[in-house]
Amino acid sequence: MKKYAFNELTIFQYIFLIHGAQVGIGVLSMPRELAEVAGTDGWLSILIGWLAAVAASLLIINIMKRYPGQTIVDLLPLFLGKWLGKAVVVIIAAYCGFASLTVIASTAAIINTWILSQTPAYMVVILLALPTYIVLQGGLRVLGRYSELIFYLTLWMPLVLTTILPHTNWLHLLPIFKEGLGPILTGTKSTILSFLGFELAFFLYPFLQRKQYASLGIIVANTLSMLIFMNITLFSYAFFSPDEILQYTWPTLNLWKVIEYRFLERMDIIFLAFYLFYLSTTSFPYLYFTVFSSSQLFGAADHRKHLGIALLLVIAILWLYTPTFMDLQKWTEWWSYGGLLFGYALPILASVPIWLLRRSVKG
Amino acid sequence: MTMRGWLTRKRVAAKDRLQPSHARPLRDRLSENISELENIFTLTPDLVIRTFESRLVEGTAAIVYLTGLVDKNSINNNVLRPMLERDQGEVGILDLLSVGKVSIAHDFGTIEKEILAGSCILFVEGRNEAFVLETHGWPQRAIEDPQLEASLKGAHQGFVETGIQNIALIRRYLPNRELKIKDFWVGDRGATRVSVMFLHDVVHPEVLQELEDRIKLIRIDSILNTGELGELIEDNPFSPFPQFMMTERPDSAAAHILQGKIAVVVDRSPSVLIGPATFSAFFQSVDDYSTRWLVATFIRFLRGLAFLIATFLPAVYIALISYNYEVIPLDLILSVGESRERVPFPPLIEAMIMELTLEMLREAGVRLPAPIGQTVGIVGGIVIGQAVVQAGIVSNIMVIVVAFTAISSFIIPNYDMASAVRLLRFLMMVLAAMFGIVGIIVGLMGMIGHLIQLESLGVPYGSPLAPVRFSDWKDFMLRLPLWSMRERPAGARVIQSKRQGDNRPRGDGK
Repeated sequence: MKKYAFNELTIFQYIFLIHGAQVGIGVLSMPRELAEVAGTDGWLSILIGWLAAVAASLLIINIMKRYPGQTIVDLLPLFLGKWLGKAVVVIIAAYCGFASLTVIASTAAIINTWILSQTPAYMVVILLALPTYIVLQGGLRVLGRYSELIFYLTLWMPLVLTTILPHTNWLHLLPIFKEGLGPILTGTKSTILSFLGFELAFFLYPFLQRKQYASLGIIVANTLSMLIFMNITLFSYAFFSPDEILQYTWPTLNLWKVIEYRFLERMDIIFLAFYLFYLSTTSFPYLYFTVFSSSQLFGAADHRKHLGIALLLVIAILWLYTPTFMDLQKWTEWWSYGGLLFGYALPILASVPIWLLRRSVKG
Repeated sequence: MTMRGWLTRKRVAAKDRLQPSHARPLRDRLSENISELENIFTLTPDLVIRTFESRLVEGTAAIVYLTGLVDKNSINNNVLRPMLERDQGEVGILDLLSVGKVSIAHDFGTIEKEILAGSCILFVEGRNEAFVLETHGWPQRAIEDPQLEASLKGAHQGFVETGIQNIALIRRYLPNRELKIKDFWVGDRGATRVSVMFLHDVVHPEVLQELEDRIKLIRIDSILNTGELGELIEDNPFSPFPQFMMTERPDSAAAHILQGKIAVVVDRSPSVLIGPATFSAFFQSVDDYSTRWLVATFIRFLRGLAFLIATFLPAVYIALISYNYEVIPLDLILSVGESRERVPFPPLIEAMIMELTLEMLREAGVRLPAPIGQTVGIVGGIVIGQAVVQAGIVSNIMVIVVAFTAISSFIIPNYDMASAVRLLRFLMMVLAAMFGIVGIIVGLMGMIGHLIQLESLGVPYGSPLAPVRFSDWKDFMLRLPLWSMRERPAGARVIQSKRQGDNRPRGDGK
């Protein structure tokens, strides 16, 4: 039964894996995207999105609790039959693969625009592929340790950000509800997708050492992410005027640009370089679960061969075709649709029969 | 040989290469035994065979030993004299020989091994057995201050080249019956005694088993020192990081054994291998525990900083002046540019020249005797340092950067780890020259990824950082007061973790 005993995760690793997967590329553009739809009330959308994400996460844990020791990859063929189940697993693997591809492509694109404008995108991707392989070949245990360590290593970033406090103007946030609830709810549409990453609990649950904390852990992970989103968004709103913020593609980076020291300018470059760590904790889990699903499908015990192939594929795709920003936006949108299905629709759909079943057993 | 032939050729197993061991039993006749020995030891001028008539055994006897490997005093006074003396009562041989350890051998295999190990063998006419007398007395060095791991306040005894003596040095710190030793013989041609020392009620049996299995699997002619043994049993041979601790200090070895680690004493090697090692242990020294904890903590932070500087400083400098110069304020970049005005090389080449010079100076200094070593310092420091700048080959700031790096790399207390850092530095420099700050961060990412999954004897190497174990952080970068470390570090994977009771000093109150 204990199929995954070797790769057990501690509760902290589980929290930070999910949290790392949630906080990624979206943070850089989030303040602008929210401001576009909800104005300076956008931060309220984050709260609502957080509630939705927590609800969906709890549903997922509730489902997985019934089958401890099995991931979604084991469960689907069990419920849907061999072929349909495998087909769905393929779709899920494709979803994870697409998510990691999007993150990697976006990472390369941002690095290309912001720091290395002369380097071709595929070179950056090849560079990024090296640590990816190094970390992921070690399996989930190593990935868990990585996510946890990276979280602690990047804790200094919010602290440094507080140095802009004297330049902020909190009046920008007032009045709250200035345009009513409508825009806030519209904004929620994008924020519930920023919390994507919790759906990895479908995979992570059986690896968790102490399963009684699964629900608590996922709430903590979501809350941590919410705090980071909130921190960045509020700071951006208070720092930029409501009109100015719309002009920046990545307001978060512009926020850092302001911080200057006598010996150091352009903190944004250093920030972005360190932010690569955060981006890696998003792309790594998705890529890992892609190759995890595919190697489970093919019955291969070793995921490393699949990992190599997957990375080569990513490099090849981004070599042959360097996506523009419009493409990337489209990709992110597709990812969101997939996430909506996998992260929100699937748990709800799966909960209904389980709930009915339980009722009939009780009755 | 054709390719195919080369591929399909029969591999010669290590066992097949060895001489057959002489497991033949001893004879009754002394002369036969002696001639058999002479057959075994041909071309061995240092073999001494002394035949004599002994009243004690009422017949001929012979002692055989390799001169130079035995203690001649002991043989003369404790073996030969009692054998040759006239008046003895009715006593057995063993009651007369005043030698500590005596065993009896029945075959030539054992005898051969014992002679080579420095024992003296006593043959007696009419007996198909021989007495193996422990009379070791090979040349050995006096116990000296450790060279590589000098300490200010710690003990000043270092390991020597005799395994037994090293074991004794460790046992002096741990006179406890739970300190167990398992002996293995490694090497078929020059068998080396490898002693595994551990606290039986503390060490985790699985870790111990893993180490034993790895040692047993070694098939080799001979291992000459601990480093070779380490390389044969480490977890990841392609890692730049040392996966075992090598120490030449008995107190350090004892401290590690007390933490629940395993020490491996290799005979003939003045350093002891300790595993499972963790990354953080390479940044700690025994002196940390003999100074006050605040001071020790400060020094540990210094070492952490030194590690970062030694690994990343040249890389960061290269990245900042060749890629991401927008990060440096204008005034600063202007002054850097001024000093680089006459330098014809790109920063990477410039850095490489200086770093390689530094490494060469260092290697040159290591092998030279002390008086000439100073000359190297003068040539390196003054001639190269000063002249290279005046000639406009290297910029001033580069020299400063390299000097900082060198000083930092000397602060890392462990030589193996310092060497690993030297290698990583070059990797980071190349990455920085290719991708700027992004390259450095990706290099750091790869390094972290590697450190996280590295294991030593199956125990996580990155502990207490990865997996994060906050309870071990008391003795990581911080060195909290000793009384606060009541448990052994979890990173060593022990079965008994209690280390001390409540020792917190409370002044003169209760």
